[in-house]
Amino acid sequence: MLHFSSSFGRLLLELKKLPGVGEKTALRLAFHLLKSPANVRALAESLLEVVSRVRFCSTCFCITEDDPCAICTGDRDDATLCVVEEPQDVLAIERSQAFRGRYHVLQGALSPLSGITPSQLRIDELMRRLEQGTVGEVVIATNFSVEGEATALYLTRLIKPLGIRVTRLAHGIPIGSDLEYVDAATVQRAVLGRSEL
Amino acid sequence: MQNFRNIRLADIEPGDSFNIFFGYNAQGKTNLLESIYLLATLKSFRHARNRELINWDSSQARISGVLERDGVVRDIELALCGEGRKVRLDGKSLHRLSDFFGTLNMVVFSPDELTMVRGMPDARRRYLDRAVFSSDPGYLLVHHEYAKILKHRNALLRSGEDGQLETWTERFALAAVELVHRRLAFLEGIREGVQAFYREISGSDAEVRLSYRTPRLEQAGMASGDVGNVIKALQQSAMEERRRGMTLLGPHRDDIEFLLNGHPLKLTGSQGEQRSFVLALKMAEIAHIRRRFGIAPILLLDDISSELDEHRNRNFMEFLSTHSMQVFITTTDLANIRLASLAGCRKFRLEGGQILQ
Repeated sequence: MLHFSSSFGRLLLELKKLPGVGEKTALRLAFHLLKSPANVRALAESLLEVVSRVRFCSTCFCITEDDPCAICTGDRDDATLCVVEEPQDVLAIERSQAFRGRYHVLQGALSPLSGITPSQLRIDELMRRLEQGTVGEVVIATNFSVEGEATALYLTRLIKPLGIRVTRLAHGIPIGSDLEYVDAATVQRAVLGRSEL
Repeated sequence: MQNFRNIRLADIEPGDSFNIFFGYNAQGKTNLLESIYLLATLKSFRHARNRELINWDSSQARISGVLERDGVVRDIELALCGEGRKVRLDGKSLHRLSDFFGTLNMVVFSPDELTMVRGMPDARRRYLDRAVFSSDPGYLLVHHEYAKILKHRNALLRSGEDGQLETWTERFALAAVELVHRRLAFLEGIREGVQAFYREISGSDAEVRLSYRTPRLEQAGMASGDVGNVIKALQQSAMEERRRGMTLLGPHRDDIEFLLNGHPLKLTGSQGEQRSFVLALKMAEIAHIRRRFGIAPILLLDDISSELDEHRNRNFMEFLSTHSMQVFITTTDLANIRLASLAGCRKFRLEGGQILQ
């Protein structure tokens, strides 16, 4: 049997650092990797390549290989700017094809409990972008969590005085879902936030 | 149920009216009630954690039940494992507690509540939260959000950081106003009931009232939902809050006062008057849930008979039997249950975590 100081043991420890991976999953992944050396080489190379090439865009702070990123340099609407918490949120909105403006990634949300202060987020950078005067509307797309909502409120207080329109993503019943299967709390909020047709 | 507290394995088939668990103390009677409540709400009315709920030498506990209503049968299954509570409804897992809500309404009545009139405010707040939760589906979420915002704001006050305090104060005020609004709506919903039931139980024409107290925010228009004024009040106590590193006003510090003919029952009421008031309150709560959901809740009575005198006891039992609801009662002595007839009841004797029918 292999000892935990062995290379196999080290692999297990590294795998367990990944989110959602526990003891059992780590073991399963490690044994799977052992069985397919060719895939392992490709995986190892891609991991190293990712860390050497992917970085944050100096304009919007989304992940990119070229700085500034494709969205920042692309042909987009300069007048609307969508503010999100994480790079994966940009991917989610891009998938929707509903937004043609540019983005700004905060890289987190305000959270006094975890010691996250405004200065740790990309808020100063956001304000500098807004000062250039091209943006007419900021769409706040932070999460609908306690932290995301507080961040939205914090940004609203900063941005509104600049005379820029601030909007928030709508929330409520998921599209395509049957009302009867939506949980009561969501339905309650959707009823309270109903809109005129 | 399986490996739940001191109950290794038990299986009961309760009737649709009175079900009595009797036996000596510490045999597992209240554990049975707790398991029923847990199955309906995923919460323990004793605020117990899984560690305490799972039998000491087992790694998981299971409770399952069959719920029958208007001819529809549903299977509910709850597994307690580690810190997790997994619930399956008709064999399908549920992800959110709120998906589950409305399946089963429960009202607990325990000796702690009988004494809550004189007790500490947190006992009354716990009662109120539990009561509002069982009649307002959105309350849990609002309460949860409020608690989280409060934690953030307290962390902020302790850290001394100023930059985001205004933001969290505004979020806090919004959540506080919403929470208080729902509590007040519940209290309004039971107001007439409390008065009527009190008169019925006590045989007097006394005027009883529940008054919601929100210290330091009464003038700030907390009750009328004036967020701006609540924010102002918070700003005024900012210095003190920073010094003490916590939020000093808001629903987590509120209280309800029981008034008899305008006087605080806590100070002037006799023990009998206090108990009658709580009984009236519970009856009103049951009637309120029945009006809202069109069906009476299931009632869990934890050994309150021994705490009530014969007259009040009988009166309460009569109320229950005329409301045709399912009731689970624990008692050390069957003679304490003052029902006109025990004939329609199902009785279960408990001994050392085992049920002897």
